Amino acid sequence: MSESPKVRVPIEPGFFTVPDDPSAPPRLLGSRCAACSEVFFPRRHVCANCLAQDTQDVELSPRGTLYTWTYVHFPLFGSKRADHAGGYGVGQIDLPEGPRVQAVLSGGPGDFRIGMEMEVELETLRENKEGQDVVIHRFRPVGLPR
Amino acid sequence: MKLENVAVLGIGMTRFGVYRDRSNLDLAREAGLAALRDAGISFKDVGEAFVGYIGAQPMTGIRAMKEFGLTGLPVTHVENASATGLVAFRDAAWAVASGRCQVAMALGFDKMTEMSMGGRGAGRGVGRDSIDSVILPAAYFSLWAMRRMHERGTKPEHFAAIAAKNWNFGAKNPFSDRQPDHEVTIEEVLASRKIAEPVTAMMSCPVDDGAACVILASQAFARRLQPGRPLVAPVVSTLQSESYARGHTFMGPVVGPPSMTRDTARQAYDESGIDPKDVSVTLVHDAFANEELEYYELLGFCREGEAEKLVEEKQTHLGGRFPFSTDGGLIARGHPGGPTGLAQIFELTRQLRGEAGPRQVANARIGLAHLVGGGSVCTISILERK
Repeated sequence: MSESPKVRVPIEPGFFTVPDDPSAPPRLLGSRCAACSEVFFPRRHVCANCLAQDTQDVELSPRGTLYTWTYVHFPLFGSKRADHAGGYGVGQIDLPEGPRVQAVLSGGPGDFRIGMEMEVELETLRENKEGQDVVIHRFRPVGLPR
Repeated sequence: MKLENVAVLGIGMTRFGVYRDRSNLDLAREAGLAALRDAGISFKDVGEAFVGYIGAQPMTGIRAMKEFGLTGLPVTHVENASATGLVAFRDAAWAVASGRCQVAMALGFDKMTEMSMGGRGAGRGVGRDSIDSVILPAAYFSLWAMRRMHERGTKPEHFAAIAAKNWNFGAKNPFSDRQPDHEVTIEEVLASRKIAEPVTAMMSCPVDDGAACVILASQAFARRLQPGRPLVAPVVSTLQSESYARGHTFMGPVVGPPSMTRDTARQAYDESGIDPKDVSVTLVHDAFANEELEYYELLGFCREGEAEKLVEEKQTHLGGRFPFSTDGGLIARGHPGGPTGLAQIFELTRQLRGEAGPRQVANARIGLAHLVGGGSVCTISILERK
């Protein structure tokens, strides 16, 4: 018998999907330019490359490559999570569609190296007044145990 | 477009640091009155003013101007994050160059220590429970440093050497926040508190309060008023925002693409006809030491991949080929925000007048000031002693 999972809601709508199955990876929500095919994250109406006002919503690949990273030895602003008090990783991940995404990383300072494969996941920040879990996207090295 | 017929008439600033019991208006008045005194004019001679700050309420600039008197002059607020003061300088220079006024004032002030995070050592964005802006600025510049180390084999010692140089310049500048009482070493910088790999506390700028002011006038006005003083003239002042390139990150835009500095510098050199090898002294956005290393290349002082060699050969020290951050830079002199770019003009003017004392660059003739702001703009001004 399993207890029913809590409802998860994004910290802001329009940036990533929240799958019903907590073990399924979320998808970042981007835009593809109908004219020049350049892909962006987050979503935008006007193409930054060719200025066409014709972009289409796309779901981006959950996996990408770590372009650069750092580990910050300061509490994370905006997070109420105690485990960020000791520090947190930050990185830029190149997705196969083109966008370079900057995000907080899951893992310790010894877990990251440039060029490694990363996967997007959702982390619970806090519980809201309705008792739902407020979640935000993070990237974790593929294969790094939770 | 080249700036014609403009001169720096007067400069003034407060020492940067923590001023718990002084207001923005108080600091602004000290810097402005010092600049008027240095210029040798009265406030009623000022035809137009541009006021810059980041942290204060809307219209604080016009309130600050009332500290000098109510003369009816046009006042414009300027805000471009860290680049604010240097952009106010640009606007004031163009107000004179266009003939719109004969004398213009650029004033900047800020109290970073009061900016929503309660004190020194913190960063922006505290408590903002949003998808963006939750990460310390140091993290973004550290991402730059980590990539550099990966691509070029740069060592933390290179960054530490730049930081130590700037701290030691600070000791020679009475307006610098940080004035160490001993020669700061690479080892000391590396051993200081780690902020974000590989950046340490001593490689980072402090959180500062302060104000700075620059008064500009037509060259004819300056020569008439100050016949005995070397004429310092802004010859170009460029400002660009980002242009799109693959790899641009749209969230967390604190650093911006490095190409922004390269493109803005190219425009400044093209429009002025000045070559980097002619520049006597340079001030940059060295909020974190690894930035200064990147700017050696992006501003054209060496080829790509040769910045580390410039550090090892101490070419950016006093007596080197390209002295950088002679007033201590953002790392030592400090970085309150609004006044930072005007403090750069303060230092360049003193260097070009030959008034920089123990940190004087011999025969300084051309000075360059560079700032980036919010990862989204870059501005460069070049000054020349006529």
